[in-house]
Amino acid sequence: MSRPRFWSNVLAVAYREALVLRHDRAFIGVVVAQPIMMLVLMGMVLSNKPANVPWAVLDRSESPVSRRLVEEIQASGYFRAPRTIHGYEEAREVLRRGQALAVLVVPDEFARRIERGRPRVQLLIDGSDPLSAARIAGYIGQIASAFATRDGPPAVRHAAPRLPGAIDVRQRFWFNPTLSDRKFFLSALAGMLLTNLCLSVTALGLVGEREVGTYEQMLALPTTPLEIVLGKLVPFVGVSYALLLFTTVAAGVIFGLWPQGSWLALLVVTLPFVLASLAIGVFVSAVARTSAQAVFITVFFIMPSFVLSGVLFPYQLMPRGVREIGALFPLRWYQIALRGVIERGAGMVEVLVPVAALAALFAGLLLVIRWRMKPRLG
Amino acid sequence: MSARRLWTLLRREVRATLRDPFTATILVAVPLLALLAFGFVLATDVKHLALGVHDASGTAASRRLVAELAANGTFDPRRFATRAALDRALVSGAISAAIVIPPDFDRALHQGGDPPAVQVIYDGGEAVLAGNAEAFLRSLIAATGAGLTEAGSPRGAGVEVVTRALFNARLDGKPFMVAGTFGFVLSFLTTLITAVSIVNERMTGTFDQLQVTPATSLEIFLAKILPLGAVFAFDVVLMVVVAGLVLGVWPHGSLLFFVVVSSGYVLISLALGLIFSATSATAAEAVQKTVLFSIPLVQMSGFAFAVRNMPTAFRWFAELLPATHYIRVSRAIYLRDAGPLELLPELGVLLLCGVVLIGLALRTLEARA
Repeated sequence: MSRPRFWSNVLAVAYREALVLRHDRAFIGVVVAQPIMMLVLMGMVLSNKPANVPWAVLDRSESPVSRRLVEEIQASGYFRAPRTIHGYEEAREVLRRGQALAVLVVPDEFARRIERGRPRVQLLIDGSDPLSAARIAGYIGQIASAFATRDGPPAVRHAAPRLPGAIDVRQRFWFNPTLSDRKFFLSALAGMLLTNLCLSVTALGLVGEREVGTYEQMLALPTTPLEIVLGKLVPFVGVSYALLLFTTVAAGVIFGLWPQGSWLALLVVTLPFVLASLAIGVFVSAVARTSAQAVFITVFFIMPSFVLSGVLFPYQLMPRGVREIGALFPLRWYQIALRGVIERGAGMVEVLVPVAALAALFAGLLLVIRWRMKPRLG
Repeated sequence: MSARRLWTLLRREVRATLRDPFTATILVAVPLLALLAFGFVLATDVKHLALGVHDASGTAASRRLVAELAANGTFDPRRFATRAALDRALVSGAISAAIVIPPDFDRALHQGGDPPAVQVIYDGGEAVLAGNAEAFLRSLIAATGAGLTEAGSPRGAGVEVVTRALFNARLDGKPFMVAGTFGFVLSFLTTLITAVSIVNERMTGTFDQLQVTPATSLEIFLAKILPLGAVFAFDVVLMVVVAGLVLGVWPHGSLLFFVVVSSGYVLISLALGLIFSATSATAAEAVQKTVLFSIPLVQMSGFAFAVRNMPTAFRWFAELLPATHYIRVSRAIYLRDAGPLELLPELGVLLLCGVVLIGLALRTLEARA
């Protein structure tokens, strides 16, 4: 097999594949409908920031100060109007029924204890929703610690909330000052879409052809299986880049999230990621016997790769072993690079580690495929 | 409807399902895999997070502050000699949080006047991480500061909040995700399996053969759904046991009630799968429909992201998904020991969804005949 023949064969298969793709309605559906749906979800719907939180107040003090504290918590904007309750039993009950996520208990001696120093309130939270519970407890704690228990001059009361204490903590959130989840989700969106595209389309396509019999026809051609597989993958690299550009520009135009770093780094790191993802698709197609099997294997590879890679949940907070398993998914490294380039303005130097990791994963996958892949009929 | 015909059809379905070792594997492996993957990912606290430290003060007090931050394994401090090196590490993503201690830290701490200003910088791009770390870092610094100066808080400001979490005292993410994973598996896997199996039967022609037998569409429907329903009821029990043994999460509520509700919910998902398959020409199309549908199902049902945080219009849409209601019920039983009476509204909605979807599935089967 001389080298020029090899590449012309690959290109011939690629050309055929591109022609087939254009008429594949299911494929076009995936490429068009999915990005739009995900853009809406990631950009407008999903958020970890508590909102519309139902809560209840058990005010045993019934003093002007306690009412002011409730008002001040209410004014933070995270909460709905509080439900008034009259006993601990009722507090437990509304929490159990999910009618409240938090119950603020103000003791009867609240107003009196102000005279003596720091008054105390109790906060019961519903631990069954731990993320919301932790954040709500944090918000209420911050509001309460900055709460002016005595009616001072209004200017002081409405000053910026500052933690009273011996050390003045000045915090800043870089790259995302309002700490909006939208940026967190959107910047990794391209990774999710490309994973979906590369895996499902290759795995399904190759097995599908084997089922219909067109794969056998191609094996009968004077092309080697390697040439066929490579040729089938070339158009998807093109489609992947188109999808990347679409997602990045759409996130920029609609949500104002333009990449802060180097476009070149973005384009460079995408290549090994797409190749590795395509290789996984090829591997699945070599393992699966029917397209139904290919679907199941693909879907249940995509699921953990979304969950463990850090696109939806921060991987830094996962337990040790789980974090390392997540590093075996290409999406982990790609999302690290995406967040770097899009949010933190990273350039080529910063994405070197992800690029190397992705290239290593790709090389490993190629070895596995060579070992597993034999030309198979029927 | 004839009991004998139904029995024959049921035996046919059971054999067809069990004959295929791949499907049998999927039915056991996927629920367990999902349980383990999802069980570990939701963290409300911070452990061993790399924290950049630029200590311009370099005094005993500043070293004590850093030591306190590292003390209980919350943060792993990494020292940076210059502010520029620290900034670079933040940009490259090597650290996600950093603390800068000013040169006059010790002096300001012990003299009166303004308290020393410690700067804390987060990588806001990692929004969840930063949100979690913020609360921890603040309270740790405040506590250390109070210890260093032995000074109480100024009078006239501040209310102390004593927080107690019910049902899950340590705010562990696992029970929340485990109870949600039942919703994920019973919505997604069920729908996908039915969709694929029926389309495959249609392509091989055995479905047409079924329809020319005297069996009615109700009988075919029941024969298709009952064996899978039984398999998934078994899956529910299996998942409960594995979640208990491996993740240490046992249901607080009645197990029997949970299995009954879950089995009922499986029927709804299976009916949905039937509708997808009956309206698709090829297996690929049925799969596309299921997968496309599963995106909002997973993201909008409250499985990982709370419905109440969404904009109003999307909240209404989420209420239309049966999965939203099932996940709510599952969490209530699993975590808060809720009984049938407390869950009456949610169960009513689920029942309504079931009647509508099963009715639709029967209609589509008849239309095909």
